[in-house]
Amino acid sequence: MKKTLSLVLTAALSLSLLSACTPAADPQPSSGGAKPSAPTVSTPATPSGEKVELTFMTNVVGEKAAALESALKGFEAETGYTVEFSAPGDSYEELMKTKMSSNELPDVFTTHGWSVARYSEYLMPVNDMEFAGRISDQIKPVITDSEGNMFVLPIDIDIAGIVYNVDVLADNNIDPDSLKTWDDFAAACAVIKAAGVSPMHIGGKDTWTIGQFFDWVAPSFYVTDESASKAADLKAGKFDVPTWTEIAQMMADWTAAGYFNPDVLTADYNSDMEALATGKTAFCFYGPSAIMDAKGVNADASLGMMPIPAASDGDAPSLIAGEDIAVGIWKDTKNAAAAQELLNYLARPEVAGAIAKAAGNSSGLTDVDVELGDIKTYFDKYKSVETFPYFDREYLPSGMWDVMCATGAEILAQKSGAVEDAGKIMEQSFLDKYAG
Amino acid sequence: MNLFYLPAVLLFLVFVIYPFIQGGFLSLTNWNGYSQSYKMVGLKNYVRLFTDGNVGTAFLNTLIYGFGSTLLQNVLGLALALFLNGKFRGRSVLRTVIYLPVMIAPLIMGYVMYFFFSYNRGAINDIVLALGGQMVDWMASGPRAVAIMTVVNALQFVGVSMVIYLAGLQNIPQMYYEAAAMDGIGKAAQLRYITLPLLMPAIQSAVVVNLIGGLKLFDIIMALTSGGPGYASHSLSTLVHRTYFGSENAGYASAIGLVSFLLIMVIGTLVTRYFTKKEVEM
Amino acid sequence: MKKGKRLGRPSNAWRIPVAAVILLVFLAPFYILLSVAFRSPQDLNSYWRFPTQLHLENFTDAIENGKILLSMANSLILTVGAVLLITVVGALAAYPLARCRTRLNQGIKGFVMGVMMVPPLSILVSLYSVLVKMHGVNQYWGIILILVTFELPLSIFLYSNFISSIPGALDEAASIDGCGPVRTFFRIILPQLKPVTASVVILTGVHCWNDYQFSLYVLQSPKLRTIPLAIASYFSQTTSNINAAAAAALLAILPIVIVFLFLQKYFIQGMVDSAIK
Repeated sequence: MKKTLSLVLTAALSLSLLSACTPAADPQPSSGGAKPSAPTVSTPATPSGEKVELTFMTNVVGEKAAALESALKGFEAETGYTVEFSAPGDSYEELMKTKMSSNELPDVFTTHGWSVARYSEYLMPVNDMEFAGRISDQIKPVITDSEGNMFVLPIDIDIAGIVYNVDVLADNNIDPDSLKTWDDFAAACAVIKAAGVSPMHIGGKDTWTIGQFFDWVAPSFYVTDESASKAADLKAGKFDVPTWTEIAQMMADWTAAGYFNPDVLTADYNSDMEALATGKTAFCFYGPSAIMDAKGVNADASLGMMPIPAASDGDAPSLIAGEDIAVGIWKDTKNAAAAQELLNYLARPEVAGAIAKAAGNSSGLTDVDVELGDIKTYFDKYKSVETFPYFDREYLPSGMWDVMCATGAEILAQKSGAVEDAGKIMEQSFLDKYAG
Repeated sequence: MNLFYLPAVLLFLVFVIYPFIQGGFLSLTNWNGYSQSYKMVGLKNYVRLFTDGNVGTAFLNTLIYGFGSTLLQNVLGLALALFLNGKFRGRSVLRTVIYLPVMIAPLIMGYVMYFFFSYNRGAINDIVLALGGQMVDWMASGPRAVAIMTVVNALQFVGVSMVIYLAGLQNIPQMYYEAAAMDGIGKAAQLRYITLPLLMPAIQSAVVVNLIGGLKLFDIIMALTSGGPGYASHSLSTLVHRTYFGSENAGYASAIGLVSFLLIMVIGTLVTRYFTKKEVEM
Repeated sequence: MKKGKRLGRPSNAWRIPVAAVILLVFLAPFYILLSVAFRSPQDLNSYWRFPTQLHLENFTDAIENGKILLSMANSLILTVGAVLLITVVGALAAYPLARCRTRLNQGIKGFVMGVMMVPPLSILVSLYSVLVKMHGVNQYWGIILILVTFELPLSIFLYSNFISSIPGALDEAASIDGCGPVRTFFRIILPQLKPVTASVVILTGVHCWNDYQFSLYVLQSPKLRTIPLAIASYFSQTTSNINAAAAAALLAILPIVIVFLFLQKYFIQGMVDSAIK
């Protein structure tokens, strides 16, 4: 009798507990959909005396994070607000996904290239803010959604080509500007390989480093050649498998030829930087920030950046342009006014300039001059080279990045059938996620 | 008296059963893990699960991590215990050193092991080179990576089974061995007919404790291979993690999670029950 | 250990080389960690060669940028909180499970054992959203409740095994004397649980101190970062100074290694008590 009673009690108590925490922020079925909220620019300033605390999260690490943090310190000193700064590194995207799923985001955060495709649902449009008119035309299309809304302050622009070790190329009499197509590039790799150096270095243990390869190579096959561009198809939900197979085959050929480092599956990004800085490899598929990172290993390393070769003779080399440090405001923040003040502060030429300098990138605002040192030579030299957005962010649905990394790893592991599988798996996931 | 377990039951309801049920619901959707919207897709995720080679690999790997390290830990643990059960100088130091790694966070142990198994500058390859061999890219082959991580996990926690067996051995009255020796029974037979049967309770505990650790292996894999190359060294835990956060298939990740939850629960319960019966029979 | 006996057994000589090999294998990770942590980033010699010049900047770097000291305090707070609850709730739950072997209780015990084996990540997604609804993210109590839930099975397992070995006649005598179950538990059972409590504290304490999977999601604020989180973020952030990361790892394991070296008797005894009743 006693036992039954206690059982009933247990059940009753637990039920009441369960109902107490039933969904408040549960994801809603798609019929409801989320509407972007109207911009709230005219929010009155926070009444003085009330302590304002902002949370700020960013994906960037190292020098960039230090520069951001010191900018936030300046903001705190000026306004008396406190800003809790958090840079969780590798786990940033995971944390943001859990936060989005429970609709509980930081007041202000950086969007690492995804301000439109992934985060726009959660961001406050910035079209009416002071700095909107100063955003550089180079980055504007990348951060604008189909309805003309922009959601972030782009502090700097990431203009990326292939990073190389100047000495390794010079020792082998290779002129980076002569590498116009992937065939030229492969021929150069053969020469470097013969000299006993790994032509390319990928730290495949970190998986994202493999995705870099495809982001660098795919545009030349899909979109840079205007006469054969498949951009419209991709946007319309059509994925061309044979083209992807070509790219995959190229990776497989280069693997078989030994153009990648022997530990391509197990090295990490750190070892990429070490190899690049110490002349153990010639090329890496990273943007200018890698030059900063490699110099951290060896300050005397002589490093350069070249445009990305084209897939055919009829096309010209290109560069990739994307958001780098771009800062947005959570649309449901309780501190909208303070968050907007913060964005305005970060958009000041001297503040934005200092952060862009640490990133080694040019500014995303028209009236900011960044002292860039070495890298500036390359930006100037390739000023007229056409730029394209990051392939996966622009042309693939969110979530495809991991598929590129995983299928690439199979190719690098020289698994039989990996090349054909890559195209098939890419198409399957593309269609699933496009329909999603 | 049953009311005593109310707090525990409440915690399980809120943090295990309720999430489990909600996970069951999510597994019927195509939720990407962060959006406020999703669609119901029925049993599609489950259909996919049974044809997905990566899930099969991860399941197999989980069993290898679980049972492989359990086997190693018990064989090695027993060997070490028999060794330390002899009397010689430095034996307590040895026991301390073998047990020490148990204290270290597996994540940190994983990072330290990366200094050993990396290709360039890896401590193991330095030895291979010094012996005149060719450098080996240890983690580049999936099965080898799985084997290495099983061994690393086993060695890190072998101290646990060792001390369990050591205590078990010390509980066996010396006179049994003396009597056996007098009857001319050899060391091997003594081990088989005296030591092992009397150690049965210790074996049960050691197996259960080790199995729990091995089936959950996560941190070491994240630190050493992130589940790579490709998907070759994933355990179910790391696969769920990657499917949820990397591939943005939270619905599918929930399905994998639920199925592995049930499978492991069943396997674990069966093993525990098997050993509990054994003990009762003794 | 009697020294005279050792001399009297010449057959023990073979144990010395074996012991040496074992020692080498188990100390190698610590040696390499030390060797990397004290090495200057420019020193590209083999890790086996201990650096001749100790590069202490790695440690100042780790303390300042890795915020290792703060993370130790955080780890301590949540470990103490979690272990307290794990022992109390576990002992309470174990008592009826060990004493009343009804079908329901057997079922619950089986369930508890199952939970112990299951990879918690399989339900992480919804677990996290439950915690969000309770506003437990970035709160000590949030992570403590989760750790308690997933360490409870071990605690219940150890306690119920131990209580089963206490003769039931004691309870019966107590109840004949008019003690209710509550009084029986506190008067008769609780005082006898000291040794097994030591085991529970030690085993679950080490787990909580080293937890990574749960803390990663629940403790997102850098102010609340625990040791494994601090180390993980430090390893992922330092692109150029793996040596400072190793220094951070070394600092991180120092407290628990020291505690273990001083209290190892209790650690090992606890483990043994838990396994052999």
